[in-house]
Amino acid sequence: MLKRVLKAEMIKMRHSPVWLAFLLIPIIPAFMGTFNYLNNLGMLENEWYSLWTQHTLFACYFFLPVLIGIYASYLFRLEHANHNWNAVMTAPVPVTQLFMAKLIMGWLMVILTQLWIGLLFIISGLLAGLSGPIPPELPVWLLFGALGGMVVCALQLCLSLVIRSFAVPVGIALMGGIAGLALLSQGYGLYFPYALITLGMRANDPAAPMAVGEIQFLIAGAVFMAGFCLFAITWLKRRDVVTG
Amino acid sequence: MKAAIRMEVLKTRGRKIWLVVAVMMAVQLLWAGWTISNKDADDLIQGWMFFLYQFPMLNCIIMPVIAAVVASRLSDVEHQGQTFKLLETIIPANRIFDAKFIWGSIYMLGAALGQLAIMIGMGFALHFGGPVPWGALAGYLFFTVAVSLTIYAFQQVVSMLVPNQMVPMTLGLVGGFIGLFSMFFPQGFQKLILWSYYGVLMQVGMNWDEATRAVDFYWTAIDWSGFGLILVFFGLVYGIGRVLFVRREV
Repeated sequence: MLKRVLKAEMIKMRHSPVWLAFLLIPIIPAFMGTFNYLNNLGMLENEWYSLWTQHTLFACYFFLPVLIGIYASYLFRLEHANHNWNAVMTAPVPVTQLFMAKLIMGWLMVILTQLWIGLLFIISGLLAGLSGPIPPELPVWLLFGALGGMVVCALQLCLSLVIRSFAVPVGIALMGGIAGLALLSQGYGLYFPYALITLGMRANDPAAPMAVGEIQFLIAGAVFMAGFCLFAITWLKRRDVVTG
Repeated sequence: MKAAIRMEVLKTRGRKIWLVVAVMMAVQLLWAGWTISNKDADDLIQGWMFFLYQFPMLNCIIMPVIAAVVASRLSDVEHQGQTFKLLETIIPANRIFDAKFIWGSIYMLGAALGQLAIMIGMGFALHFGGPVPWGALAGYLFFTVAVSLTIYAFQQVVSMLVPNQMVPMTLGLVGGFIGLFSMFFPQGFQKLILWSYYGVLMQVGMNWDEATRAVDFYWTAIDWSGFGLILVFFGLVYGIGRVLFVRREV
């Protein structure tokens, strides 16, 4: 059943303008980061590692939360339009699978985004003339960034499920990203979903181990994820739909 | 016109748009508190200037988001209910456009006033040095409102013309990011981008000593030509957008 719901989600996303956001938005922090790096070569001496801090500085705090917010809002956009919730909720599909299909679709987009960010990082480094080898830790940074992104995706899906507007959850995502910056600096990053992307991608110091430890990170991510899934499924089960 | 604005007020009742503005202000307050928390007494002497430098920078991101969300909320209600067709049979299209702009502007004005309240409140609470620069604060409010209304007009045009609200939202966000980034570029380039006018109309500059890593703020002359340009942008965006909305087939 889940496979069929997932297939339906994929049909909904086909030819969608959201892919334009997927392609274009990560280019901006890559460009900004590379520009910043090239202008501060005197201070940023650690080649690829310094370039990574500049790329992720903008991406983690502003662009990725927003982009994931756009994905989540888009995933629920069709349901909120017209009277589609009536059709969705009367289909012989358990709501758990309905939500899980959207979540998996969102995760897939987050993973693709991370791969695109990694590719942009390598291209930027080569264009900037970095001669050293590409950091072997790059796949780990991207993987943990993706895990953080998946948690944010679950949270954004909850928001987009509850809030019928496209724009409001995206705005909340941006605010979450900015608040994450402040909370992370105070040492509370692990307890704030939006800061998990930054922690996972080692945005502040890629050469050092993760500030909180991988196990702690994974536990925090799993707890948040379970909480958000439980919330969304309970909401779908208990609340009557609003259509129109 | 009064009736059209009243209709907008009724349509937004219970849609919690003020809550969105309040959340954005809360984040701005959190940011201001965080950035000022690591300043010592010497730094606080320049506290007013610090805020008048920081807030326009943050506005490059915050205000376009508020504009995009408000414009989207006010327009999406018509797209979802397909009510433009009905509305235009009872009110001229240009009046619908004007009414939505006026009501949306109230939210933008509210956000700008909220920022001013945060600055003044924190300034008094933390005992910033020197007299309160009321003139500069009034200038900040005036320029913030001018730029925000221009961005809001742009967002309203796109939100009203394009039913898929992903498009205006993405445009607004990308614009905001480019606006922030354009601060690294020469002023000539900045003036080409709508979202960078928060920086163009800044009243405070910053000197950063690379050797000592010390920061020093100073007053700058207001860029009146930049202000003139933003007014031209406003006229163009509003005028062209209104014509496009009126002429489009519902």
